[in-house]
Amino acid sequence: MKKSLSRIIILTKRDFKEILRDPLSLIFTLGMPLFMEILFYLIFHKLTPQFEMKYLAPGIVVFAQSFIALFVGLLIAIDRSTSFLTRLYVSNAKSYEFIFSYALSMIPIIFVQSLLFFLVGGIIDSSIFSINMIFAILISLVTSLLFIAIGILLGSLCNEKSIGGISSIVIAGQSVLSGMWFPIEGLSEGMITFMNILPFRNATKLVQNTMNGINDVYKDFLIPLIIVIAYTIVSFILAIVAFKRKMKSN
Amino acid sequence: MITAIKINDLTKNYKDVTAVDRLNLEIYEGELFSLLGINGAGKTTTIKMLATLVKPTSGDAKVFDYSILKDEERIKEIIDISMQETAIARKLTVEENIEFYGKLSGLDKLELNKTKKAIYETFGFDKIAKKQASKLSGGWQRKLSIALALISKPKILFLDEPTLGLDVIARKELWKTINELKGKMTIILTTHYMEEAEALSDRIGIMKDGKLLFVGTKDELFSKTSKTNVEDSFIEIVSGGELA
Repeated sequence: MKKSLSRIIILTKRDFKEILRDPLSLIFTLGMPLFMEILFYLIFHKLTPQFEMKYLAPGIVVFAQSFIALFVGLLIAIDRSTSFLTRLYVSNAKSYEFIFSYALSMIPIIFVQSLLFFLVGGIIDSSIFSINMIFAILISLVTSLLFIAIGILLGSLCNEKSIGGISSIVIAGQSVLSGMWFPIEGLSEGMITFMNILPFRNATKLVQNTMNGINDVYKDFLIPLIIVIAYTIVSFILAIVAFKRKMKSN
Repeated sequence: MITAIKINDLTKNYKDVTAVDRLNLEIYEGELFSLLGINGAGKTTTIKMLATLVKPTSGDAKVFDYSILKDEERIKEIIDISMQETAIARKLTVEENIEFYGKLSGLDKLELNKTKKAIYETFGFDKIAKKQASKLSGGWQRKLSIALALISKPKILFLDEPTLGLDVIARKELWKTINELKGKMTIILTTHYMEEAEALSDRIGIMKDGKLLFVGTKDELFSKTSKTNVEDSFIEIVSGGELA
């Protein structure tokens, strides 16, 4: 147990350094979403309530998390294609230790994302500062697990070349199906149902509602939370199965 | 001579392809054994089975008396492998790579420092220790990849195509390094380069279609084929004399 924990820590440190030293990962997980937060607020906040900071900041937090799926997936795909994982496997490290380390290495980045986008949002519009912001940051750590699990799953299934394209579907899904960039009232009922059964809109709603106050605990909080957790658990199970299989077949 | 690896009827089937076909072989402690064969001969699959990365379909092999079927953990403690891909952490420096793998292999601080010093000396890493691995030339990256496999002080080292894709200078440098390792551990090397096998091997095994066609020293190979170098002998054996 002690050995296993020590290996997880060693692997996590390495994964974190790999991600942090890739300038693209910092641009996409922090720089670009921050730029979008400021730009969309400045252009649109007087035109539509969608872009008021109380909705935009939590929406951007979850949107930025979708890039985590890309970068955790890319790291795993590269580790597999270069046989780096095979080498580590010979060193007696276990599949679950790898999976924990990939997931844990993302947590500091996710925390910085939430803190940065909420704080910058608060500096632009100080009315969003409240105790709820702390709860929203905490609940965003829960939504981030969904994207980490999707990233591990995609990294286990895709190769280095295809992971970018496949991950962009997740990013596009979060962007379009979260309903954060446009009012969804004009959409068909079928489309809204479709968005509600997928995790993307629920993840955004969960952080937005936590930030802005929950009127109906069941509808505003529990339902989106259960849907996000359900998708996260399923994604993690699939990720573990896919990762183990690939480790054996590689 | 102490037997390091004893392979008994080892077989691996993938759907309708037999990658390794009832392989029987004995490899002795301290020798450098080269496994030669054309693409798809079954060399890498054999190595992967011996390193417990792939389960055999049938048969078994003993690695210092540990069975690859039952003693996976024990075997992993005494072997290491350098695959044909350059398996390094690309964004870490050379030093960080060595420290990372050393810690993962369970070395304490004192052991790690000693190992680091020895590896720097063997591979000449002093000048590039602080360089990020991704910024090194292909030759240095491959050296680092092999160096990582030595950190755990394995009794058996598997080198799968160690010089694949390297230029002639980098290849010669790596031969020098591998030569320096000879005798310190048992090395099983797969290669496509016949001159590599000729320069480095104590004994040679030639595989084709998953079967072992020849095992012996270079002299035994030359005498069997009436040739004077490994390449001609290899062609003679693999082509059944048709291309010789």
